[in-house]
Amino acid sequence: MAVEKLGLTRMSRRSNLDIVWTVFKARILIISRYRGSLFLETLIPLVFAALPILIGLSVAGGDAAASANFNRQVGTPDYRLYMLLGAVTFVVVSIMLWIVGFWIRREMEMGTLEAMYLAPAKRLYLVSGIATYAFLRSLIAFAIALGVGSLVFGVNPFQGEIALATAFLFVGLIPLWGLAFLFGAFILKVKEANSVVNSAQWVVSFFMGVFFPIAFFPPFLQWVALSFPPTWMNNGVRAALQDLAFFFGTWYFDLAVLFVFAAVVPFLGYSFFLRTEHHMKKNEGVGQY
Amino acid sequence: MPEIIIRTEKLSKNFVSKDRKGFRSKKKKVEALKDVDLEIEEGEIFGLLGPNGAGKTTLIKCLTTLLIPTSGRAWVNGFDILTQDNLVRASLGTMLMGERGLYWKLTGRENLDYFGALYHVPKKVRRRRIEELKELLELEEFLDRSVETYSSGQKMILAFAKALINEAPILILDEPTVTMDVPTARKLRRIVMDLNERGHTILYTTHLMQEAEELCDRVAIIDHGEIIAHGTPDALKASLVTEETITLEGVIPQKVTEDIRSITGVKAATVTSEEDGRTSVSIVTEDSRLLLPKIIEKVVGNGATVDFIKPHEVTLEDVFIAKTGRALNVDTRVVAEREGGPSGR
Repeated sequence: MAVEKLGLTRMSRRSNLDIVWTVFKARILIISRYRGSLFLETLIPLVFAALPILIGLSVAGGDAAASANFNRQVGTPDYRLYMLLGAVTFVVVSIMLWIVGFWIRREMEMGTLEAMYLAPAKRLYLVSGIATYAFLRSLIAFAIALGVGSLVFGVNPFQGEIALATAFLFVGLIPLWGLAFLFGAFILKVKEANSVVNSAQWVVSFFMGVFFPIAFFPPFLQWVALSFPPTWMNNGVRAALQDLAFFFGTWYFDLAVLFVFAAVVPFLGYSFFLRTEHHMKKNEGVGQY
Repeated sequence: MPEIIIRTEKLSKNFVSKDRKGFRSKKKKVEALKDVDLEIEEGEIFGLLGPNGAGKTTLIKCLTTLLIPTSGRAWVNGFDILTQDNLVRASLGTMLMGERGLYWKLTGRENLDYFGALYHVPKKVRRRRIEELKELLELEEFLDRSVETYSSGQKMILAFAKALINEAPILILDEPTVTMDVPTARKLRRIVMDLNERGHTILYTTHLMQEAEELCDRVAIIDHGEIIAHGTPDALKASLVTEETITLEGVIPQKVTEDIRSITGVKAATVTSEEDGRTSVSIVTEDSRLLLPKIIEKVVGNGATVDFIKPHEVTLEDVFIAKTGRALNVDTRVVAEREGGPSGR
């Protein structure tokens, strides 16, 4: 029996989608075999939101005083919902970024990264599979945490412009794919995920304005925060649900900025990832860990 | 005449590596491959032999596009490794990291399905192929168990199955039997020969010379990143026929080799330590009958005890010793450190 020139390989658009689906499915299978991790993930934003709420209460000296103070400073008395929305949006951002970073690191250590690089699968489809998985996980965590958090903190998230808030959330997820590529490239280069994630966690939440409006920053830091797409997503969700101010005054300008980020950041992130990978292959390769 | 299916032209690969001493590190250049010219014919089993650190894996990583060479060119299945890397990878089934490279939380079947998809093998074809591999490699017993429950040998067999999932025309097997028990290794070699009979070209790296002699149509010996000899095993061994090899067994100190090498007519001498604590020294000479008394005098004079003297048939290991002056079990990187020169990896 003659062996075909490319064996059983049949490259097509369909086979590329099959790669995305297979990578996605494999991640779902693997996480389903680590019972409890999904459950714990939904608790994180509750703890994350509880901290500033309790600090606010203790500093202000009671709920009424805290609400009045918060209303004066931020423009809404519902500081609990404000914190909860910030925390659940931050969880979406962190799951999207950290899953890609930890994924690359784990695959490096297990040797499966080189095994993937041996196959004729384009990185775009491999990382799209992971990003789709991260997308699903982050949305599940968002929904559960928001639901449970609303009960725990006694707030109603279903007020204001729900459709607009959803639009900000979904459009804001697209540049996160690009940031995930950037973050993945960085992990590929430094060969370390834990310390990077631990420190980046605080930097990201700080610049996103998870617990306070970025208007509190000095001007330079405000510009840094505004160059970070999740800041726009976070502010858009809150502004739509809590009737707060958009950065440009109207929702469509803010959403337009997020669309620009959605068009540019994935392209930049992917290019940077490929450049980093090329650089590594010119030296010691991607399998060194 | 068979076509050339893998070709390299002056392929070189340099790394920058770090030597670490405590908190300090020093960068140094490593020449892992030096102007490697190689031609592998379609349908042959080609052995790439050399000690650890000689450059075998680096060469394979260049051919599989995991590494970009510093200079030179290479073609696999007619495709350029630099400009047609995806087609190169589609032409290959590769077993590179042994049991690493598998998802331990997935079953064997899920792993094969996963990697089949990454090789663009259509779903229906994948299912059929997994069944074929189950029969061929006798995976029935463990295919539907999580890989984390496998023995080391079972993981290696699954890694081998993974290399076969896309039924590629070229198989690259990097030390595939290294952690296998003897019967499993024998079974794998038989399957490799069957695959070769069905038309697959096989590039097989090993540091086990008997394995290479059993399997390979042609071999290349690599050391310090350079191909130092290539040809059929018989031709390489025949090149040493003008020389004779004798082995002395007993308790023989390392320093004896220097004295033996100083005897006129001795071409190479190397000491190998056996597992039972004894040592043997292999000596390549022009005329063993003439030189044996002088050799024994030198050995005994150094306080060695000789229990047994045997002439032996020329093997590929002797070819390696004749070309490099040392045994295959010596890591090339260690030798390079001692000699202060560059090393492969």
